[in-house]
Amino acid sequence: MRTTHFTLSKYICGMVASLIIFLAGGWLVLAPFALGYQPYGASWDSQTTNDFATGIPVAVLALVSFAFFFVSLLGSLRAAGILVARQRPQAQAAVATQVPAAVPSVPATQQSDLDRTLSTLAAALAADLTARRQAGSNQLNQVSDQSTDQAMNSRRDA
Amino acid sequence: MSVRDAMRRLIPPGSYVLFLFFLTGIWVAISPFVMTTQPSGQHWIASTVNNVVIGTILIVVSLFGILSYLVFALRDLLAEVQARQEVAEHTSPSGE
Repeated sequence: MRTTHFTLSKYICGMVASLIIFLAGGWLVLAPFALGYQPYGASWDSQTTNDFATGIPVAVLALVSFAFFFVSLLGSLRAAGILVARQRPQAQAAVATQVPAAVPSVPATQQSDLDRTLSTLAAALAADLTARRQAGSNQLNQVSDQSTDQAMNSRRDA
Repeated sequence: MSVRDAMRRLIPPGSYVLFLFFLTGIWVAISPFVMTTQPSGQHWIASTVNNVVIGTILIVVSLFGILSYLVFALRDLLAEVQARQEVAEHTSPSGE
């Protein structure tokens, strides 16, 4: 839970910074007219041109930066298993037929660290389950052997 | 994890854009003096005050975005390494 909280915080900080910069870019465009140092109807002076030429790219790039952080947030949520990636029907069919071959073919470098940790945990759990099942089957075999011995002894006594 | 992967996790594409905003903020703050729209030796005119304030906001906010992401990502990285070590310690005594 702690890791997820901090992961979300970093993306939210980036998105908030992008939104503030977007507002600053919009204000740069509006400021010459709002503050009255650019008269209406007159040709633009150099400061107005500079504010326009700076404010519009800043506003556009702020939206791009917001989109970058938002996409990273979505990717992090997908990696954590909170969001499930939507798949096309054709892709789903292809994945359903090729699941055993597709899973090992993913290179280790493309897996995220969270995936690696989860796979390690899953392997440990699987090994534990296998050991428990083997222990349980050994106990069952011992019980069945004892019951057959008892049946044989009773037949002999009879 | 290689250094390249760690740097990629610590500095996302959004941080590069925020660094562009940092440079833009510097330009916005000094542009009245570079373009000589601010008369020297006089009180600052409205456009100069506006540009210096907005430039400072751009500088501070972009640095805040970059550094906060860096700090949180570094903390996540350390927590992840610690969790991986704990998993390795739990799995190694079972004979795996």
